[in-house]
Amino acid sequence: MASHEPAQRRLCAVIPPPFIVLRIALILLILGFWEFAPRFNLIDAANFPSLSTVVHTLFELFREQRFLDSLLATAGRVVLAFVIAAPISVVIGIIIAETVFLDRIVSPYIYLAMAVPQSIFLPIFIFAFGIGTLEKTIYGMTHVALVVLINTIAAVRSVPSGYLLAARSFGATPVQIYWKFYVPAMLPSLLTGLRLGLILDVIGVLVAEMYASQDGLGQLILSWSESFRMKEMLGTVLLISICTIAVNELLRGWENHLGRWRASLSER
Amino acid sequence: MARVIEVIKVGKTYPHPSGPVYALDNISFSVEDGQFVSIVGPSGCGKSTLLQILSGLLNATDGEVKVDGRLVTSPVPGTIAVVFQEALLLPWKTALANVELPLELRGVATEQRRRRSLEMLDLVGLTHAVGRYPHELSGGMRQRVSIARGLAPDPRIVMMDEPFGSLDEQTRTRMGDELLRIWETTRKTIILITHSLSEAIYLSDVVEVMGRDPGRILEEVRIDLPRPRRLDMMGSEVFGQLRNRIWHLIGDQAGTTVD
Repeated sequence: MASHEPAQRRLCAVIPPPFIVLRIALILLILGFWEFAPRFNLIDAANFPSLSTVVHTLFELFREQRFLDSLLATAGRVVLAFVIAAPISVVIGIIIAETVFLDRIVSPYIYLAMAVPQSIFLPIFIFAFGIGTLEKTIYGMTHVALVVLINTIAAVRSVPSGYLLAARSFGATPVQIYWKFYVPAMLPSLLTGLRLGLILDVIGVLVAEMYASQDGLGQLILSWSESFRMKEMLGTVLLISICTIAVNELLRGWENHLGRWRASLSER
Repeated sequence: MARVIEVIKVGKTYPHPSGPVYALDNISFSVEDGQFVSIVGPSGCGKSTLLQILSGLLNATDGEVKVDGRLVTSPVPGTIAVVFQEALLLPWKTALANVELPLELRGVATEQRRRRSLEMLDLVGLTHAVGRYPHELSGGMRQRVSIARGLAPDPRIVMMDEPFGSLDEQTRTRMGDELLRIWETTRKTIILITHSLSEAIYLSDVVEVMGRDPGRILEEVRIDLPRPRRLDMMGSEVFGQLRNRIWHLIGDQAGTTVD
């Protein structure tokens, strides 16, 4: 009997079939409306082209050099900002959380800063760094930094203090204490921060591109919408949505896999 | 029998703006090889602090602790194992991997540590649960894994800080019997901190009764009940007398603090 318990629990964790059917039905309904409403003239097809037209246009776009350049420019800025800002923020977060002195003085301001909409600072970034890749990358970096910093500090604080005592009683060296106890305990929360950081990074870069730019997907979306090229605009919107959802879900899956033990932690 | 642990005039003082706080004062006792010793006392008497000093996790401000004649100033992983109140298992590791951990940290070869850990899990009756994660185990099972983990490096001494404190009464009694059985098969020296007088009397050879303000030993009570112990002994007259005596020792203490 006992050996069946985990299997049962896994079954319970899966969403019951009726809900999954309803979920699929809902998305099919929305996509169906997008496809058929313009076709049956329920909405103006010129302002809101059907799904199939948009998808077709999207494939066409991949043959256009200007679109590919912009795609590359945006992706490059997002990746560059993340690769620079994320590791630095993790390290600084750990240092702050592990230093009582710094934690007391700095942490409150990090939380306060979280409340301020970052978009209002965009003009300052343009003033300081111009409207090129430098400005957009640095703007993306600030989006990554804050949320990663906060989640790293939270991750360090989430490690039960008893682990240190247990580790020391086993004769663990400081390096072992860190790698065998702290890092695995922090990893799921850390990954949450990195995932949120990546999403905000995309937001930051796109907003900066839409506000003032010579290239990038954000700039394309804006200029297409201003010249009523709705097919191209919606195609790009669709592409960005699909990409961000895919990356987010992939990271979330990894996060949940690493943190399988987290959900039940409160029961201990 | 040989003395394994010697506690000599141990004191622990914490500095405080309004004068030093004496957490532990002049604590002396010794433990013989293979003995089962319990430490009881009211909450706040410094039992856990004392255990941390005995196990080298904390340093005393006065006096000294010796194990096998050697001064204890830091943890002695191969010799002293500590079992904590919260089982403190790593939730991302299986029961087996948790038991293996202290051996892994000491660089024991994979195969050897696996064999040893499986033996220990067998000893605590968890052969069927080696692959389960802590959140898939009950409170009692988690504490058994924790005990197996303590025993894995084959220490001479196992120190337990209220290991059954968070378990329900029934599980607690069963775990007590389990612990006796493990003690009888392994012949480790055990120091158990508990606030249950019955548990202390039922399991131990000697009960150190502590008082508080400052934390100190009020009396060392020898438990001369025959071994092996059986649950129905708890209803015997001798057991009742021992229980009353310890109860009064602690009770009088509580009275003096009220004055």
